[in-house]
Amino acid sequence: MGLVGAMKRSSVILCLILFPALFGVSQGQSSFEQRRLRLIDVISGERDKGFFTVTAKFLAGKDKEFALQMLDSLTTDESIGGMFYSYAAIGCYLTLHDQLPDSLNRKIRQAFRDRTMYRGDTENHWVMYYTGIYLAAQTWPNEDRSQWFNGKSSEENFEEAEGWLNQWIKITSTTGQGEFDSPTYFITFITPVLTLYEFAKDPVMKRKAQMMADLIFADFAVEHLKGNYCGGHSRDYPEDIINPLAAPAALWAWLYFGEPKLELWQETRFRPRHRGGWETVIGAISSYRLPDIIFQIATDRSKPYVHTETKRVRNVIRFGLEKNPPVFKYTYMTSHYALGSLQGGILQPIQQHTWDVTYVSDKPNNTIFTLHPFYSGKELAMFFPEEQKFLADEVDRYHKIYTNPNKWNSSSPYEQTFQHRNAIVILYSIGKDAMHPHIDGFFPKNLDERVEDTSGWIFCRAGATYVAFYPLKPYQWIEEDVNWRWRSKELKNGVVVEVGSLDEDGSFEQFKQRITKGKPEFKGFDKKLTVQYETRSGHHMKFTFNGERILNGKQVKLTDYRFFNGPFLQGDRRSGVIKMTYKDKVRALDFNTVSIKE
Amino acid sequence: MIPITVTTILLSLAFLVGEWLSLSGLDSKKQGGDQPSFYAAVFLNRGHVSGGASSNIGLFRREVGDTTWRNIYHPNLFTFGIGFWQRGSTSRYYIAGGNGLHRSTDGGKSWRILTSWQTEEILSVALDPIDSSILYIATPFGVFKSTNEGKRWEKKMKGMEKWYVQQIIIDGKNHRTLYAVAEDDLYRSRDAGDQWVALGVGVPGILTVLQHPVDPSVLIVGTEDDGVRVSDDGGKTWKAGRGLPRTAFYALRSSPDGRTHYAGGYKSGLWKSGDMGGTWSLVWLAPEVEAILSIFVYPGNSQHLIIGTNGQGVYESLDGGRSWTNTGLKGAHVKQIELYP
Repeated sequence: MGLVGAMKRSSVILCLILFPALFGVSQGQSSFEQRRLRLIDVISGERDKGFFTVTAKFLAGKDKEFALQMLDSLTTDESIGGMFYSYAAIGCYLTLHDQLPDSLNRKIRQAFRDRTMYRGDTENHWVMYYTGIYLAAQTWPNEDRSQWFNGKSSEENFEEAEGWLNQWIKITSTTGQGEFDSPTYFITFITPVLTLYEFAKDPVMKRKAQMMADLIFADFAVEHLKGNYCGGHSRDYPEDIINPLAAPAALWAWLYFGEPKLELWQETRFRPRHRGGWETVIGAISSYRLPDIIFQIATDRSKPYVHTETKRVRNVIRFGLEKNPPVFKYTYMTSHYALGSLQGGILQPIQQHTWDVTYVSDKPNNTIFTLHPFYSGKELAMFFPEEQKFLADEVDRYHKIYTNPNKWNSSSPYEQTFQHRNAIVILYSIGKDAMHPHIDGFFPKNLDERVEDTSGWIFCRAGATYVAFYPLKPYQWIEEDVNWRWRSKELKNGVVVEVGSLDEDGSFEQFKQRITKGKPEFKGFDKKLTVQYETRSGHHMKFTFNGERILNGKQVKLTDYRFFNGPFLQGDRRSGVIKMTYKDKVRALDFNTVSIKE
Repeated sequence: MIPITVTTILLSLAFLVGEWLSLSGLDSKKQGGDQPSFYAAVFLNRGHVSGGASSNIGLFRREVGDTTWRNIYHPNLFTFGIGFWQRGSTSRYYIAGGNGLHRSTDGGKSWRILTSWQTEEILSVALDPIDSSILYIATPFGVFKSTNEGKRWEKKMKGMEKWYVQQIIIDGKNHRTLYAVAEDDLYRSRDAGDQWVALGVGVPGILTVLQHPVDPSVLIVGTEDDGVRVSDDGGKTWKAGRGLPRTAFYALRSSPDGRTHYAGGYKSGLWKSGDMGGTWSLVWLAPEVEAILSIFVYPGNSQHLIIGTNGQGVYESLDGGRSWTNTGLKGAHVKQIELYP
């Protein structure tokens, strides 16, 4: 490589490192530059084999020889392939190809010819796969079918990938993600979207990628509290559900929202193990800049607010009446805690997290929730084409805990919720043939207080957050490593939860006094499955399992939920327009015209 | 789950191959020579993780007489079914898989995906025996048909209530008559897929269908919880196959002469019937085999049976099922086994 090449190469690196500094960034985000450089530095010191660490090492000018060895291994081992490989490989190539030896550049190219880029079977797989194919076909145009693993020409691959990405952008901006609001799978959406934004040559696709990144971050921001992705999630791993800051999304919150302040990779209490491949480096090197309004939405918790939104169930292939039934999501956010929920039922297989209260704490395991640990082959067969008789066992082989009675993530057809602000009623009507006929609750051991009151309420305090928990039926406590497992074995069951805080209630004693003035009314529950409850704020909630949700005498129709509705984010289903508002600022994403208005 | 995806064609083909083998003096015990090979569709392997390093899934080939299965296409490709079409010197191999419908026109050296993103996983392929340009695929979102060998696809669901279609086969006597295994019933089309009519098997959860290779009015289906159901009048009436356990039956196969039928499923063992599916007797039950997903009967030697399992690979018997040997693909879920040139 000659002098010109070397200069060009250096310019690229310099731009990547300094480019954002050329732009004015808001006061609130000024430390972003430090965080992203810090992240590149940290990741460049990692030894994990992956395209992201290779990229970081080159950009930081660290361990280049080792990085080359890693890249050689990644491009030589033909047993590796698929959606994760596809977009990461082409992203690495597009970032570094001027610096890589021709032999390695050729190997990356050959990977798209010689190995299976399996596209997967779910939304996040397809986003990664088609982003990879789109960029690869764009990078190597006019190549015939023999040059691609799938026997399609560059143009055919580009057309297919563009078609899929366009329809995904459309459905996501009008009816929502299927794998929505996942603290773990967040990375599998935002990383390819940022890669697409960085390298798509088509200005329309580039703009769409920018808008999708805005949407994904804004969707996170409204349910974000100090690094925690709060409320209900389509999918999450149990270790992240019981320890929210352990989730990969927290590192993206650190990078873009500046919260939590901790360098999570150094905090074993929050991040006991590293998972993923340091995808966050893509954010650190991207020219994408988070709009200041999203930063403000993510971090201003000066006023409590209610945010509702609708998503979609992932593709139902059988045993359903709709391909993508709606998901209704409710979140109440304060500066101390968030209480959030999905409506219940089977909205996602395997990893659903239906409701929780997540609170700000400097301790791990900062959450309380309940669930019914459901599993069935038929549930899985709704979403996967394999044989339902042994699907559960197959899933257990990969996810390890699917059939476990003690698991901390689960959808269940026997669980439904009704939330109003900081109060929630969760009802269970567990089928007699259910494999695990009990419900469990997660209570961290490190709560400052956990008191069983004679009134029937269980009161918890974690710093400035107070939780009142009323079980309808008898229960037991089981001591575990980091938590107390609350377990109740009644099939017709439920809990009522109210959450408060120092700001809302004064002292913990005052909170308890307010709560114990009332308690749920559930006479004849086993027949009617109805609970009535008047919150300490005087709101009357009446909820019947498989029946109505009534608030202050008026039926709450979930179907009335808008696509996004809250002080910060608004939009109507199928409109294709999502508006962010913060004080006097407005940013509207119009996916119909592929335009951003401020 | 799908023992025979292009049943009629393949059975006809297998029968012809069997006849050819018999006439030419070749049988399953002969070694070497210009023989056809076994092909196995492997859609999963225990230990596989999506996006992770491959663990032997895809299309595998084993020469007759050999003991080693070889992956002949990219590893890491979920393969639900396979198909083969031949006329004269023109041949087509097909893979119905997670990435789409693949076709090879050069004996498996190179492959091309014929479908696009609109058709997710391809669970089964059926090939018009007369016109190589006509293809049918079964997918979780319906039946699709191409009349130009995969250049364009048209959804063909008129008359169907549910969208999940697991298998599609072509009638052995009339290539415009199709059978589709859908979520709610077995459907038939008499106009090459334009219109479908439910046959009313009467039990939920139809998993697979087999048409008798000689008498097309005999249809046998495997069900999720009710063993197999049999019709001897072209689907007008159905009765339960006697003697079978009430479990899922994923695999059905006829001997090429149609005299014997085999069935296997979930914790069922291998069963056979000598009376068109009316009564069944147990051939083999092994505790280590949780489920039988595919069955193959060697043409020209009906004592030579091969079964594909979920996670235990392939088992083979040369004595009509009295004794069995595991012959490879350990860990694999083998959806379909065929003998192709």
